[in-house]
Amino acid sequence: MMTIDKVTLEILKNHCRAAAESMAYTLYRTAHSTFVKETEDFTTGLTTPQGETFATPVELGATWFVGLNYQTVISMIGSYDEGDICMTNDPYSGHVCTHSPDMHVWKPVFHEDEIVCFVVGHIHNTDVGGAVPASISRTLSEVHQEGIRIPPSKVVRAGVFNQELIDVMLTNVRMPEQNWGDLKAQIAAMNTGERRVHEMIGKFGIEIFKAGITELLDYAEAQARAIVASLPDGEYFFADYMDEDAPDGYPCRLALTLRIKCEEVELDFTGTDPQIESSINMPTGGQERHALLMVGLIYVLYSLDTSLFLNSGVCRVARSVLPKGTVVNPHFPAAVGLRTLSVQRLMGLIFGAFVQAAPARLPSCPASGGPIMNVNTIENRTGRRVVAAIGPITGGAGGNPFGDGSDGSGGNSGFLKNTPVEINEAEVPMKVLRYGLTPDSGGPGKYRGGLAIQMRFQAQAPNTRVTARNRDWTVFNAWGVLGGRPGGNSSFILNPDGNRERDLGNIDFLSIGPGEIIQVASGGAGGWGDPLERDPDLVVLDVARGFVSAESAEWDYGLVLANGTFDPTATQKRRAELAATRSKEERFFDFGPNRTAFEDLWNYRNYAALTELLMLTPVHWRFFVKHRIFEAVEALGEEARQDGSDVRTAHARILDEFPQLRIAMST
Amino acid sequence: MPDPYNLFSSRPEPLITRDKVFGITERILVDGTVDVPLDPESVRSAIEGIRVVGGEAVVIALLHAYRNPEHERWAAEIFRKDAEDIDVILASDVWPVIREYERTVTAAVAGYVQPRVSYYLGSLQDALRNAGAGCEAMITKSNGGVMTAELGKKDCAQILLSGTASGVIGAASIARQVGAGAAMSLDIGGTSADVAIIESGVPRYGVGEMIGEFPIYIPTVSVTSIGEGGGSIAWIDELGVLKVGPVSAGSDPGPACYGRGGNNPTITDALVVLGFLGRAALGYSAVAMRPDLAWAEIGRIGDRLSMTPEDAAESIIRIAISGMYLEVSKLVSRHGVDPRELSLIAFGGAGPMLACWLARELAMKEVIVPQVPGVLSAFGGLIADVKNDFIQTVYLDLEEKTVDAMRDSFGMLARRAMKWIRDEQGFDDTVAMFPSADMRYRGQSFEIDTPLEALWIEEGDVKAMAAAFHKLHEQVYEHSDPAAEVQVINLRMVITGKPPKPAFAPLPESDGALLPRETVSVFLDGSINDAFVLARSDMKASHSFDGPAIVTQDDCTTCILDGFKAEVDGFGNLIIRPGDV
Repeated sequence: MMTIDKVTLEILKNHCRAAAESMAYTLYRTAHSTFVKETEDFTTGLTTPQGETFATPVELGATWFVGLNYQTVISMIGSYDEGDICMTNDPYSGHVCTHSPDMHVWKPVFHEDEIVCFVVGHIHNTDVGGAVPASISRTLSEVHQEGIRIPPSKVVRAGVFNQELIDVMLTNVRMPEQNWGDLKAQIAAMNTGERRVHEMIGKFGIEIFKAGITELLDYAEAQARAIVASLPDGEYFFADYMDEDAPDGYPCRLALTLRIKCEEVELDFTGTDPQIESSINMPTGGQERHALLMVGLIYVLYSLDTSLFLNSGVCRVARSVLPKGTVVNPHFPAAVGLRTLSVQRLMGLIFGAFVQAAPARLPSCPASGGPIMNVNTIENRTGRRVVAAIGPITGGAGGNPFGDGSDGSGGNSGFLKNTPVEINEAEVPMKVLRYGLTPDSGGPGKYRGGLAIQMRFQAQAPNTRVTARNRDWTVFNAWGVLGGRPGGNSSFILNPDGNRERDLGNIDFLSIGPGEIIQVASGGAGGWGDPLERDPDLVVLDVARGFVSAESAEWDYGLVLANGTFDPTATQKRRAELAATRSKEERFFDFGPNRTAFEDLWNYRNYAALTELLMLTPVHWRFFVKHRIFEAVEALGEEARQDGSDVRTAHARILDEFPQLRIAMST
Repeated sequence: MPDPYNLFSSRPEPLITRDKVFGITERILVDGTVDVPLDPESVRSAIEGIRVVGGEAVVIALLHAYRNPEHERWAAEIFRKDAEDIDVILASDVWPVIREYERTVTAAVAGYVQPRVSYYLGSLQDALRNAGAGCEAMITKSNGGVMTAELGKKDCAQILLSGTASGVIGAASIARQVGAGAAMSLDIGGTSADVAIIESGVPRYGVGEMIGEFPIYIPTVSVTSIGEGGGSIAWIDELGVLKVGPVSAGSDPGPACYGRGGNNPTITDALVVLGFLGRAALGYSAVAMRPDLAWAEIGRIGDRLSMTPEDAAESIIRIAISGMYLEVSKLVSRHGVDPRELSLIAFGGAGPMLACWLARELAMKEVIVPQVPGVLSAFGGLIADVKNDFIQTVYLDLEEKTVDAMRDSFGMLARRAMKWIRDEQGFDDTVAMFPSADMRYRGQSFEIDTPLEALWIEEGDVKAMAAAFHKLHEQVYEHSDPAAEVQVINLRMVITGKPPKPAFAPLPESDGALLPRETVSVFLDGSINDAFVLARSDMKASHSFDGPAIVTQDDCTTCILDGFKAEVDGFGNLIIRPGDV
């Protein structure tokens, strides 16, 4: 194949991005559902005939799909004619789609009877049928409950709609006119993309186009390799947890051993918990460069060098090891609808591994655990039912080597948009009592973690149903690094400061009555570096701005405040005292008290034993066995040992108690 | 967030940081009723707080004040009594529209610039009076209109983006002059390249346009930046790929060829090497060109790419243009406009230099270079209407029982508009009023500003109003839903008065051939070509010539590529079209 000069490559690159951006704007402009307009949960792109994404938009759409590879679904369609458009929303057919609301479409672009590329994209449909409105709930356990699933199929055959397929889909969803409107927008975007590709071929010539698109992948790969090469070789282990693997369950662990070698990385997820009986599994199909695994990696590499051209060539520097039957590689038919929650944790996991390799170049953990809030209630004046999203509750970015994390939103959630208080009050019968930053929620540090957002509102009608999707981290915290402290916890409280106050923990759904008050907050982000080294003037400013309380200023930052500024002598003394009381052991991470306590028992060796035994256990037994081992070991309390032996004993007892398990293991 | 893939991305520090924000006790509900009355004591403690931080001006922004400004006005009254020296800006005065962040940030930006703008305008008025100017000074507005400088002293929010807006107003008048159905203005200076879409001679308006790092939400001529202008610097990345921008040498030190110490190769330097620039002084002889410096810088980058200076220069232009192509392409896709139908109206010092390349990349219909492209913005200000926007948030369902309320609100807006133009502007000629409504389908989070006819409002014709919205929705988004419920969020009234316009004598018809001043060599599409150098001042109506050619004039240079034909129209505009149509 020919090679093309770098000037032409740069020009072709701009044209390819223009094509992808034009597709995105066309889709955004013509999409029917408000959901698409508000969340921008869609993407568009161009792939090689083999399915590798070589151009994506960067200004519009979700940030998760740069590394998407359509190869599996492309090859599941036998043959293509000009004018075909295919679609699928089945998370278990090729694993391009990762939960049922995402409808992926792809269209071959022909030049003289040859497919020269595909134009592709997805849209998150508000609803695709199934057990619950919007098709997603943490309580679902099988993908069959998550709505209709279309395996890879032609929705347009040589320019003619496949009406039977469309009718089957629309019969099974709750708001068919929205799905139909959005599908039409997707098709318009595909046609825009196809036209733009033909224009490029006209301008550059077919040979340059064909060579150019593979060179664009090579170019992004070469850039990514240079970034990885700038990191020290080594093996970096990191684990992180979701609070619960089931309502009131045990923590769910994700584990990663990152191996950096020259220009390449290996992401080994051995040690990750078994797949669970709720919808937070991530359907990667075991693909070593699955898009969901690559999101965190792409954030890291792009943050290290923002001149990185974003396409799936970047992913060629990585390969993953994905043990089967785990939350990162679940077996059919595990439910996957709420993988948004676990992918967030997965990104944090990757950040945590990389920050060990480059602590002077990367931030600490971004805020997490805040929900997307929905309210479903009756308007008193009209009797009309109102169902509305009242906004995401986000938190800030992690403190970083160069400055504080941004407050309120940032890091890997910076793309989410909030809703004005006045619009919420106009649309939904609710009264907002507070909407603002949560003091002291940002992890203290030389550079402070970003603060979390808090919203407090009062219901105005009986039976007001509140959904708080993706809630997590009321127990665990966003970690700080190099002496930086963890961010505050997320919280969900009914009737705060009242006599009927109730901590709702990780609950994500409840009904409340008129006059009742909900207070919800995201977790805050972790701090970077020792808070005792923070510039005292910045602490004074933080106190004046209400970001940090006087108590935290004194005991976390060692700052003795006086008359709107600080007392230098007293501060020096207090900082020395605080430094002296610290344990000698220098820890890279500060995970916060709950995780530290949890890991006193569930340390590396106990967890290694657990992982080893669970991997020998058949998938359908694992969740059960994990819970029984946890119960047994935790019952030992202070007596429990930390060398894995108690875990093995507990496992042996379970085998004795359940001969069925032995039978299952032997087959 | 400005850059969603970047973990370090952050928002700018607010103009008014949190330590300078003071809460007061009061609450107005969404329907405008008072839930908690204003506590004057809380205002007095805010005043004390402002004293402590040394505030000179205060922005008062309270929830739902767009619907009931009573508490904001009451608080302002307390300030006037107890703290007369502190300037008070009410968010409900600046732009009384729902969405507290948008309203407040606009008021904060206005408050931030007010003391200085007011001082500057005062000095200008004095200077004009002293110079014996017999008329009142007018100032351009972001909405493309003008108002008295006197009013500008307190209504600064209206003038924040007036610079780019008046350029577009100038371009729009050119579009009307030549009868262009769809046009795009292209304004390129040393540090920015801006475009705007103009349909049937009317620019598009937007809200949330950026001033520096802050969005402002008053009606503004919608302008999009597509690059960094003639000073954009070319560089080579670690993998040997040539890039242009986003760093710019600006106008100081400027491109290497300005000889003011710029030591980086820029777009302007590339044009010198290609032979299009550098023969004459630029900008009314303000800059003496140093082609040797351009050759040295471009030569250096060429060496690193193993290219001749000419090839390197052409590569720089092609890459810069492809970057602009990307940005324009996004803009036209966002608006559903076909670039092949657009006339590109080029102005600013460097617009006519690069317009032909951009038009070729986008296969645009034609390029129009007005007679004095360097000062089109000033021309735009000269011909602008006296104009103001009025808004009221009503948040109504569009139905029979709400039309009375709408009619009342429109009546009130019309009275305020008349009062503004007659009393505050002292304008006594005929005026025109344009009512419209921000409408949406229930459940949508964005509105479309839908023009309404006065008769529909008078007769309460809900059907006609809804039909206008459905039709516009169809135009903008390619679908509509006539069965869905429609909400009316805001009512708007625009009032305009046309002051007498300057008349321009038509350009005389040509009475002979247009003779080139000289013939030079330019490097274009990989080879050396002969090009005529023509003086703009020699041109008469109906003159025509083929590219490649260079047109020189005091305020700019126009580059015409091979394969393009240029013609001079009766107004002196240069119309440049691809030769094959």
